[in-house]
Amino acid sequence: MRMPPTLACRTVVASLCLFQIHAEAAALMGFADSAMLMTEVGRYNQEWMLNYAPTVGHAIGIEQMRMSAKGEAATTITGVNYTGLIKRWNGRSTQANLWLNGGLGEARGLHEGFAYTPGVQFDIESTRLYFLAKTRMIRAPEMRYDTTAIQAGFSFYEASYEETQPWLVLELKSMRNTDPSLQITPALRFINKTYFLELGITNPGQGEGFAPRINAMFVF
Amino acid sequence: MKKLCLFVLFHLCISSAFAVTTIKAEVNGMVCAFCAKGIEKKLNALPQRQQSLVDLKSRVVALQLKEGQTLTDQAFVQVITEAGYSVEHVQRVNQSIEAIQAAMKQAAPATTGGPQ
Repeated sequence: MRMPPTLACRTVVASLCLFQIHAEAAALMGFADSAMLMTEVGRYNQEWMLNYAPTVGHAIGIEQMRMSAKGEAATTITGVNYTGLIKRWNGRSTQANLWLNGGLGEARGLHEGFAYTPGVQFDIESTRLYFLAKTRMIRAPEMRYDTTAIQAGFSFYEASYEETQPWLVLELKSMRNTDPSLQITPALRFINKTYFLELGITNPGQGEGFAPRINAMFVF
Repeated sequence: MKKLCLFVLFHLCISSAFAVTTIKAEVNGMVCAFCAKGIEKKLNALPQRQQSLVDLKSRVVALQLKEGQTLTDQAFVQVITEAGYSVEHVQRVNQSIEAIQAAMKQAAPATTGGPQ
């Protein structure tokens, strides 16, 4: 199928321009001169993002998010995004980060038009404990899927650099205009030096709200 | 006596000629392997690298230089800071990565990652 030139152009511009993703990990970007691929697949929203960090603390990339409320058609936002590390605190055995991110793009589907997704995230972790809080506006004409989430977790044991480290993480996430608006996701997280993989179940035991969720990150 | 002096002199010459230089740093904020991969990648790209080591538990990052190669402490620290971490202490030791690892294993079994 051939797209009209203007539509193709808009799609390319939008694709080259949103990005972000509320990655479910402390790191929203890799190291200087690295690329990071993140994806989240859940029942109510699916996202993927590819970003590039030219220097430590700044990353630009592309992102696509697809969201739908219960019984509604989906809306897909495609665009570019910037992630900035406002402040990092490196302790002897901890690291804390304050991030700012924001995307601009185009919404298509149930809601259409200009979309913007500013957000802020704070995380702190040690080799055994983890906490994250984040909030993000996800808006387009007549659309508000603003989200707020907190996560806390612990690792079963301290791992060496070469080993895969398993974690148990619990996330509470509220997403405006979705049903259920509160999503509770216990998840097993596996962190290796080459990948980050999270397998969770959203709202276990809640009938229709029950849904598997997968998060993955790779850095190159 | 003369033979002993010659032996000592010879041994000293051999030792200095084949001295191992490893730059070793204590790194702050290095809490997960996925996040610390940037350090390994950058160290592996250095032409001076013989071997490197990233150890999360002891917070140690070490780079063993190839024979005859040099690298300033500043350049070594820059690799780590560009990966997003801060360096607390840098030192040069005449120990190979294997020797550092062995010492770590002795100090705390099962804490050490393999050489990179």
